[in-house]
Amino acid sequence: MAEEHSGRPSGPVSRGPFVTAVRAFRRDRTGMAALAVVLLCAVLALAAPLIAALYGKDATEHYGQNTPGLLSPEGLPVLPGGGISADHWFGIEPGLGRDVLAQLLYGMRTSLLVALASVAVIAVVGIVLGVTVGYLSGIADRAFTFVCNVLLAFPTLLLLLALGPVVETRFVDPGENEPVWMQFTVLILVFAAFGWVPLAMVLRTAVRSLREREFIEAARALGASRRHIVFRELLPNVWAPVLVHITLAVPGIVTAEAALSFLGVGIDEPVPDWGRMISRGSEVFYDDPTYMVFPGVAILVFVLAFNLLGDAVRDALDPRTAR
Amino acid sequence: MTGYVFRRALQAAAVLLAITAAAFGLFYAAPSDPALIACGPKCDTAQVEAVRHSMGLDQPLVTQYTDYLRGLVAGRTIADVDGSSIDCAAPCLGYSYTLHQPVLDAIGDRFPVTLSLAAGALVVIGVLGVGVGFLAALRRGTLTDRLLSGFTLVGASVQIYFLGYALQYLLVYASDLFPLPGYSPLGDGPGAWAAGLLLPWLVLGFVNAAVFARLARAQMLETMHEGYVRTARGKGLGVLRAHLKYTARGAAAPLVQLLGLEAGALFGGAFITETVFGLGGVGKLAVDAVVQNDLPTVVGTVLLAAFFVVVFVAVADLVVAWLDPRVRLA
Repeated sequence: MAEEHSGRPSGPVSRGPFVTAVRAFRRDRTGMAALAVVLLCAVLALAAPLIAALYGKDATEHYGQNTPGLLSPEGLPVLPGGGISADHWFGIEPGLGRDVLAQLLYGMRTSLLVALASVAVIAVVGIVLGVTVGYLSGIADRAFTFVCNVLLAFPTLLLLLALGPVVETRFVDPGENEPVWMQFTVLILVFAAFGWVPLAMVLRTAVRSLREREFIEAARALGASRRHIVFRELLPNVWAPVLVHITLAVPGIVTAEAALSFLGVGIDEPVPDWGRMISRGSEVFYDDPTYMVFPGVAILVFVLAFNLLGDAVRDALDPRTAR
Repeated sequence: MTGYVFRRALQAAAVLLAITAAAFGLFYAAPSDPALIACGPKCDTAQVEAVRHSMGLDQPLVTQYTDYLRGLVAGRTIADVDGSSIDCAAPCLGYSYTLHQPVLDAIGDRFPVTLSLAAGALVVIGVLGVGVGFLAALRRGTLTDRLLSGFTLVGASVQIYFLGYALQYLLVYASDLFPLPGYSPLGDGPGAWAAGLLLPWLVLGFVNAAVFARLARAQMLETMHEGYVRTARGKGLGVLRAHLKYTARGAAAPLVQLLGLEAGALFGGAFITETVFGLGGVGKLAVDAVVQNDLPTVVGTVLLAAFFVVVFVAVADLVVAWLDPRVRLA
């Protein structure tokens, strides 16, 4: 770390901030449990095709329509609990008759892919802009603050809702379906376009206080370039807020993505999606409440685990609570 | 303070102007065809051209934007598709071809619903959020704190589109404990008004209050150990009075700012809550406009929502400046 050049005596007693944080985190039982759940979700999402193969079901096949006796003439599952059986552990979808467990597994892939890709873009953009602007100040700082204020005032969810169709009409010919990769790209870019703002603002504040410190002054006195100061001296000192921010950003994007699908503008059929499952579940809620419970509880557990993990990361990195 | 108010108002106005330009640019200037979108897929070429002319899309972009701004400030006349003219009074947000009425009227019709929902939810957020946050902070480390913190964590993680339906099923459909959610105007009797909105208030309020309570607890804990609070305690002030008088005031700034942001967002329309409970407010209007590609309404609702956020955030900043004199000098 850059700070270690500032002449602080380093002995066997003094541990690096990263080691200290990891130790603090490992003592936090809630945090470790949350991490376990998050990792489990990641493994389930990654291994979805494998698990689906072992389980013997496909996420897109209409079992209820192909096998007589599973769905009533109204399209509702015949068996109690939304059609739960030895064949379909979590039941089947009303109407189309798809397998709920397979849809949930693949839906997690959709959520995680969108969230992780968005967070990656947000981290890069937020770090570069926040650290640079924090160091530069002056006119760049004023322009940055103004742009942030404008972006923060926009009703994000509404804009996310509205931009999808606009982009679609721009790039896709009428009558053609939007390719799946483009739906994902649009979603990720729109999330990133608004998501970088809070991170950049936090980093700007952090860097503004750092840049007056001796080690930066020393680097400047030694003739280090602006680029060197920003990337080599400032950046290594702000990873803590970045880590906290991105851990807490993932559940935010997962829920926003699900909300968009719930409102009818998100990833299209047949890509499985939790938000769309809830939306479909809400249509038949009084006749078949189970279909909504599974994706609803899945989102709750997933988001809860990420929020707990974010809290634990923050506590572990906060020098006031860590020791 | 006057200087600060003036500067803050100017800043808010500049942000609003930039937002109109950005919204306009995104939706009208994007190289898609807004006339085709507004007219719908059933329109023939002549009808699309009529809509294009009516929306002023055959004009240069700058003219379109200044026309829009002039309409916002002074009102303007819009040519309808059939050639007749529509009078659109200031602040004119354009004309919806889907709803066949000026966008502002469409919003005005639905605004009482959104206002009622937001007002009640804000009360829940304020009372529950501050109360739970402060109580948890005062009882830090005890069972009460752990229970309350767990409660708020679940609240901050649960989704309205799940909780709303689940509670409707359990409390209304299965057990009749709550009245059926819906909107009846306040003028028709406050009892029916409050009964229909009770569950939406609680759900929307609880989910937002959870986030608020977490921040309130963290802020309180941070301020509690400040020197001036300890001094007040050392001089013999009681625990509760010291915390109410000094800690609460010191911890208030971020809370007021978050409340301002929440209020702004809620007045612009609670999209999900309105959809879940079938309330026909501004949020539902916006979602329907997006689904039906009703571009003037989309832009109108985006601007309205941004307007509320900017105004409430500015008001919150003024309150913070009044609470904390250091802010005014910055």
